[in-house]
Amino acid sequence: MGYVSARGGLDAIRAAEKLVRTKRLVSDSNWLEEEQILDKLRLLVDRVMGEAGLWEPQLASKAIRQSEGDATEAVHLLRAYRSTLPRLAYSEATDVNSAQVMRRIVPAFQRVPGNQLLGRSVDYTARFLERTADADAREEAEKLRGAEREIVEEKSPPSEEISPRRLIDLLRDMDMLIDRRRTDDPEPFDITRTPARPPAPRSALLSSMSRADTGALVNQWYRNILGPDGYLHEVTLGEVRHATLPLNVRHPVTGDVVTVTHIRVSEVEAIEDLEGIDEDRTRFDVGYGLCFGHNERKAIAMANLDIACHRDAGNTQLEQSLLLTTDALDSAGFLEHLKLPHYVTFRSMIERKLAVRKMRSNEARTNDGA
Amino acid sequence: MALSDLIDHRESSELLDEFAKREIRRATLAAVAIPGYQVPFGSREMPVARGWGSGGLQITLAVVHDDDTVKVIDQGDDDGVNAVNLRRLVTSSTGADESSIASEATLTQSRHRIPEDGLDETSILVLQVPVPEPLRGVERDMRELARMHAEADYSRMWVSLYEDKVRNGVITQTTGYPCLVNGRYVVATTPIPRWDIPRLHNAPFLTLFGAGREKRIYAIPPYTMVEPLTFEDVPFEVENSDGACCALCGKSESFLVSLPNSTTWLCSDTDWCARQRPAT
Amino acid sequence: MSDTFTDQRFDVARLAIPDWLLKVEGLGKVYGPFDDAVINSTGSGPETAKSPLNGSIVAAWDVSFEVAPGEALGIVGESGSGKTTVLRCLAGDVTPSTGAATIRLGGSDLNMFAADAAERRRLRVDTVSVVYQDPSEGLKMNVTAGGNIAEPLTAAGWRNFAKIRMRASDLLSRTEVPLNRMDDLVRAFSGGMRQRVQIAKALANSPSVVLFDEPTTGLDASVAAGVLDLIRSLLEENRIAAVVVSHDFSVIEMLTSRCLVMHHGRIVESALTDQLLEDPHHSYTQRLVAAARS
Repeated sequence: MGYVSARGGLDAIRAAEKLVRTKRLVSDSNWLEEEQILDKLRLLVDRVMGEAGLWEPQLASKAIRQSEGDATEAVHLLRAYRSTLPRLAYSEATDVNSAQVMRRIVPAFQRVPGNQLLGRSVDYTARFLERTADADAREEAEKLRGAEREIVEEKSPPSEEISPRRLIDLLRDMDMLIDRRRTDDPEPFDITRTPARPPAPRSALLSSMSRADTGALVNQWYRNILGPDGYLHEVTLGEVRHATLPLNVRHPVTGDVVTVTHIRVSEVEAIEDLEGIDEDRTRFDVGYGLCFGHNERKAIAMANLDIACHRDAGNTQLEQSLLLTTDALDSAGFLEHLKLPHYVTFRSMIERKLAVRKMRSNEARTNDGA
Repeated sequence: MALSDLIDHRESSELLDEFAKREIRRATLAAVAIPGYQVPFGSREMPVARGWGSGGLQITLAVVHDDDTVKVIDQGDDDGVNAVNLRRLVTSSTGADESSIASEATLTQSRHRIPEDGLDETSILVLQVPVPEPLRGVERDMRELARMHAEADYSRMWVSLYEDKVRNGVITQTTGYPCLVNGRYVVATTPIPRWDIPRLHNAPFLTLFGAGREKRIYAIPPYTMVEPLTFEDVPFEVENSDGACCALCGKSESFLVSLPNSTTWLCSDTDWCARQRPAT
Repeated sequence: MSDTFTDQRFDVARLAIPDWLLKVEGLGKVYGPFDDAVINSTGSGPETAKSPLNGSIVAAWDVSFEVAPGEALGIVGESGSGKTTVLRCLAGDVTPSTGAATIRLGGSDLNMFAADAAERRRLRVDTVSVVYQDPSEGLKMNVTAGGNIAEPLTAAGWRNFAKIRMRASDLLSRTEVPLNRMDDLVRAFSGGMRQRVQIAKALANSPSVVLFDEPTTGLDASVAAGVLDLIRSLLEENRIAAVVVSHDFSVIEMLTSRCLVMHHGRIVESALTDQLLEDPHHSYTQRLVAAARS
């Protein structure tokens, strides 16, 4: 069998790129506009921004369209783009109590100050797959358009604060909460500048989880509840919020604090019962979760894992798992790198197997001869 | 005035901003100053995926100028698709020239091979590293790994080599053979074949190792001691081809890879192979 | 029925040995906050190690002794007496609350308790060895018998495979482990055999000090007898300063020349082993001796 040196690497890549690009851009269906993605696939946009660690809905929509709906691929596009951008400023610390809530529930109590606000959520909507014909759905949309102006997303009653008082503040009033507030003000750990490894400060853990792959965090939580090596149990949730936060920066010239944009976040406080041997059985402790956009399951998992990691206090490798195995790009990239050529390694493996066989047959011959 | 007015909106083909490059250079200098030590760095996401050379690429981008000449290979092949992709990213964003001839290149970025020849005191070799931790097979906890390196406590590695030899009669480490660098740190020599290990010892060229996913850079400066871990009475073995020759150039002095039928062998270093054959 | 020394014989614990190799002074370990009052609220007199004042546990307090090369010192007491705490502090597995433990090597003295973690680990390679009650604490179960011994050897710098194997097989034959099992995983060994491997490993680099924590507890009586015999002859052969911790006086009797009796964290009696067995003074010692005799 003759061997023909395949010198067509660049050609092959170019052909593949052309195929992908053509198939992506040219089709009989309508052009997919960024606005449509932003508008109709908002939860996917939110998830992608959260996993990219970059708030820019327009860019996220572009990335989702370019990736043909592959969320992890979209995250890659955003993060690679971020790498080309210089860092211009640091934001001021945002007080989460300055948030404007659109949805707020507190499972721990039936009634709470500021009320339970169901908001825009499908939690209690029956999951029936709608099979209405497209034409009928569009007709319904037209009818609703007129009435839509009157359906305003319900906000907290004006007499209450825009941001209702948190459950943990109430628990503090009841002297039911362990106080772990710091009196110093350490710089938050920047995971984009320094890789975090255990033992890491809590800010490193929280920011890693905030940017983690949603499925990875949910799975980390679930296997720690039910898996063979897990030891977590479920928390009670305090706050579950979907809210808008201002992003403030100091103006580079005037030095005044300026709001440059608003971001939406999902925020969760998880209340832990504390039944460990060395723990204070008379109080609760709290875990915290926060991520970009409307992504409740991620924030809930995050809050749960935050308190779990604190209670673990380094006894197991939970912190290592959370810091190092939950990033979407690290995990998917490394997995898929297996597709790269590995024939040098494979050849070396075969060689060692033959060497072992040879050694064993030599030994057998020596023994026979003896 | 908007913040965006402060940014130069010129469409740049740069893959990394200047501050990132500075950070990477600093980490690389630290690595060269402490041979074999894994220096943590703020690894950026690149247009290539994690695990596909993002670390090697960052080092190359941080180090290369437009007057450099760059060679990029994968498994020793300049034409491997991943090598092609990386090479065009480097040349288009840095303006450097490209060459497949190692002696012409000022910097060679490689996955899993060291070029058979051509690297000298003016060369930099950048190796792509999937897993920078040589002790991963004997320990998983990162806190314990940090301690083992800090205290040069490699006894668990030695025990695994002992067990390997006892169980199998030979040491069966394939590629990425663990080596002691400068008498101090044990490193993962990426999956380069054992064939290439001897050339790391006292090499005239600088070798930089980039692990983008794990966010570590390490280095072997020129003329540094590199010793594969083995017992003094158990010789280090490179891959044996039983005297096979390359079907293209007829030589047996380079690292050969075989086709699945295992009777046809070829040089893995395609450029070296081409230079053995008379130009046609 | 007192815990003071009335004695016409040597108070062995306070005996100053001129050529000591290991010297422990005022070793104390307390779990929880403590002050003088807390300490004084515990001990043999109050009959408790747990302070009624604040619940702190004074696991060991005011423990001092010296051991010379070639001799074995016993520490005897029931579980909870503090003897294991003392051993674990010396081994470096537990950090003491107070006190010093000095090793005299080649003319210079090193206080182990003042050394950092890295130095303590180095001492464990070739100076201070430990034989644990549970062999799986001192051995890697998924490694061969020879491989377990290779660990301290390679840690001490051995790099010759044949010599490592020779030394390992020497040690294994000395500890009466069949040589054809040298390449078997320790996991496949019986308890008694595992203990022998652990002893072989402990002796690999000819340490100056060996600490034995209940070396034969958990072994069948006949197996235990063999292991004890082995330990005794090994101690005789090598100039090791040994500390043997046991609740069983017959073990102490077999292996040691002097011993301390601990109760509720304190030393309540100390003497030459023979004398203690023949004529125990403290009521607690008397109970222990009686138990051994039955």
